[in-house]
Amino acid sequence: MKLVIRGGRVIDPSTGLDALRDVAIEGGFVSEIGEHLDSRDARVVDATGAIVAPGFIDMHVHLREPGQTHKETIATGAAAAVAGGFTAVACMPNTEPALDTSALVAEVLRRADAAGLARVYPIGALTRARGGVELAPYHILADAGCVAFSDDGSTVASALVLRNAARYASDLAAIFVSHCEDADLKADAVMNEGGPSARLGLVGSPGLAEDVIVARDLLIAEDTGKPWHIAHVSTATSLDLVRWARSRGVRASCEVTPHHLLLLDDRFDGYRADAKVNPPLRAERDRAALLAGVRDGTIDVFATDHAPHGLDEKAQLLSAAPVGFSGLEIALGAYAAALPDVPLGRMIELHSVNPARLLGVPGGTLAVGSPGDVTIFAERPWTVDVRLFHSKGKNTPFDGATFPRRPIATVVGGAVVYEHGRVMLRDEPVTA
Amino acid sequence: MAARNLIDVDDVSPAELVALLDRAATYSETSPGRDLLAGVPVLNLFFESSTRTATSFTLAEQRVGADVISFAPGASSLGKGETIADTAITLHAIGVRIIVVRHPESGFPRRLAESFDGHIVNAGDGTHAHPTQALLDLMTLRNEFGSFTGLRVAIVGDILHSRVARSNIVGMRMLGIDVTLVGPRTLLPDSFEAPGVRIERDLDAVLPEVNAVMMLRIQRERIVSGLLPSLDDYTRRFQLNRDRLRRLRHDAVILHPGPYNRGIELTDDVLEDPRSRYVVQVHNGVFVRMAVLAFLAAPAYAA
Repeated sequence: MKLVIRGGRVIDPSTGLDALRDVAIEGGFVSEIGEHLDSRDARVVDATGAIVAPGFIDMHVHLREPGQTHKETIATGAAAAVAGGFTAVACMPNTEPALDTSALVAEVLRRADAAGLARVYPIGALTRARGGVELAPYHILADAGCVAFSDDGSTVASALVLRNAARYASDLAAIFVSHCEDADLKADAVMNEGGPSARLGLVGSPGLAEDVIVARDLLIAEDTGKPWHIAHVSTATSLDLVRWARSRGVRASCEVTPHHLLLLDDRFDGYRADAKVNPPLRAERDRAALLAGVRDGTIDVFATDHAPHGLDEKAQLLSAAPVGFSGLEIALGAYAAALPDVPLGRMIELHSVNPARLLGVPGGTLAVGSPGDVTIFAERPWTVDVRLFHSKGKNTPFDGATFPRRPIATVVGGAVVYEHGRVMLRDEPVTA
Repeated sequence: MAARNLIDVDDVSPAELVALLDRAATYSETSPGRDLLAGVPVLNLFFESSTRTATSFTLAEQRVGADVISFAPGASSLGKGETIADTAITLHAIGVRIIVVRHPESGFPRRLAESFDGHIVNAGDGTHAHPTQALLDLMTLRNEFGSFTGLRVAIVGDILHSRVARSNIVGMRMLGIDVTLVGPRTLLPDSFEAPGVRIERDLDAVLPEVNAVMMLRIQRERIVSGLLPSLDDYTRRFQLNRDRLRRLRHDAVILHPGPYNRGIELTDDVLEDPRSRYVVQVHNGVFVRMAVLAFLAAPAYAA
C-alpha cells in the first residue's frame, strides 16, 4: 500500500533538501517527494508541525539474543528501536554464544525479520568467542550479513591479534569497531577515576585506560589501512587522537553516546549502579570536549550503546551490577537536550547519513528510489518514564528527565511501525 | 522525619559533631546507665572480620542497655536473588532497630539504609568510611589540645585504600582542622587535593609543622599489585622511626588506627614514645560509640 507522509518539514542532508514537502513511499521505496502529493488510495501519516528525516540508524546496540533473553530479545529491542525513532540498528556480538558463526548470524536476521519492526544489522565478533586470541571467520560472517566486526564489551588485548585481524580482513569493506579500555588500567573500576571516586572510596578507571587503546588501535588502522571506528568515545584525548590519525590519512571515525554528552561522574553518591557504564561517565572537561567534538565534526555518529539489563541485576552492589543501560528510547530527546544549538541537518547526519555510510547499509537518504525508512519527530517536550519503555531493560539514569524533542512516527520500508506512542506489530491491523 | 544514620561523619552537622564529642567525653567520666537504650534491638552485622571495632561496639551497646545480637556472615552470604532491599526489610520486620554494619564493599551501608526503616551505623565499608574511628580520633585530639582551632594534622601512608583517612578528612574539615596528606603518589593520587586538604610527598618536611601525625597501616599486598616496589623503599621515605621522631614537635601526638605493623609504617621507638596515643584512642572508642547510639536512638537524647 502506498504511504504518504503529509505536510512535514523534510530535512535530507544527503540531497540538501529542507522544505515543507510530502513524501510518498510505494513498494517499500521512496517514490516521490513534492508538494500536495496525491494521496488517494494511500495511507496518510500527518506530519504537520513535525520534521521528516531519513531513518535514524543506531549502530551500537545490544539485543542480548541469543543467550540473555531475560534482558532483551531481538523483538523487544527492535520495538524499542522504532519507539525511539530508529529504523535500523546494528547489534553487537556479545551474545551467548558470541556472533561468530554464520548460523548464529542467520538466526539473528531471521528473528529480526519475524519481529518486522526495525532493520537489524549484525556486527560479527572480531575474535572467536570474543576470546581475543583466534580470528573470527570474517568472509563467512560478511557473507552471512555482518556489516562490521567488533569484540565490543571487551578490548582485544593483543596488538598482534588485532593487527593480523585487520590485515586478514583488509579486503572486506566491513569496518572494525573498537571498544577501547585497557584491562589493566581499568582493573575492577566501577566509575571514572577522579575527585568523586577518591571521595567515595570507589575504584576509578582513568581516561588514560581509553586513550592508550585508542592510540594503539588507530596506529594499527594506519599500519593496515583498515577503516576503523572508535565506539563510544568518552575523553578529550580520544578525540585529539582521532583528529591526529585523520591528519595522517587514517580512515578513522567515532561515535558518542547520549550519556557521555549529558552526564558526569558525580552520580555515585548513593552507591547505586544506575549510571555504571563502560567507558565510565567522565568529568566536565571531557564532557565539554565531546560536545565540541560534535560541533567541529570530529564525531561522526550518534550511537546509544543500548545495553538493557534486568532491574534486579542493576539493583546489586556496584561491584556486582552489570554495566550499561537502555538508550534507544531516550536518545533522540537526549541528544537534542545536549546539543540544542546544533542545526537539525547536522543532527540528522549523525543519526542517519553517517552511520549508513560507515556501515555500508541502505538508508541515510530520502532520495527517490531509496528505502522507505523515515523518522518523523517533533520539537515537543516530554518526560522520560522508564516504565513505558518497550525495551525489557527498564534502567536509565535519565528516568524523569525532560527532553525537548521526541519521535512521532517511524516508518520502515514504507510500513508505519510506530505512531501515537504505539509500536505496530506486523499482524496487527493498521488503523490510521 | 527519616531515621538518622551515621554512614559517614558528615551525616551529622558540625554542631552535632561537637555535641557528640561532648557527650562521649561526659560518658567517659560518668556512665549514662543501662536505661538509655533499654530494650532497643541492635544488630552487629559484620561481613568483614573485626576484633577491636566489634568488641568496642558490643561493649558500648551493652553499657547503654541495648539488646545486642551479633552476626558475622561471610561477605557473599547475601544470597543470590535476595536483594539488599529485601535484607533490610526482613531485618526490620524481625524487630531490629539499629544495624551496626561492616562490609568489604564501599557503599554497602548507604544501600542498606535506603530500605531500612531504622538506624544504620557504619562500622567500616570498603575503602569509603569509618566514622566512629574518626570520632574517636577527634575525641583524642580534643582531649589533648582542648580545641580544634588552628590544629594541623598529617595523615601518612596508604590514603587511597583507607576508610579511616577518608572519614578523618571529612570530620577534620568540618571542624576546621588543617589536613596534610603524605604518601607516594600510587597510594595518594592528586585527586585527594581539596580546600583545606594539602598533599605533600616529603614526610621529613611535614613532621615539624604538625600538631598530630596519624600513621596508616601499610599492607603487603600493595607490593604484589604494583603500587609499592618494596617495604624497604617505602619505609625509607614514609616510615615513622627514631630519626623522624626527632623532627616531630615535643607537644605533638602520634595516632594510629591499629592494628599497626611494627617495622613498616612505624618502629617500636614510636610505640614507646610518650607522644604516642594509640591506647587512648582505643579507650575512647567505646565512649564515642555509646554517644552515637544515644544520638541516634535514645528518646531522652538532646544535643
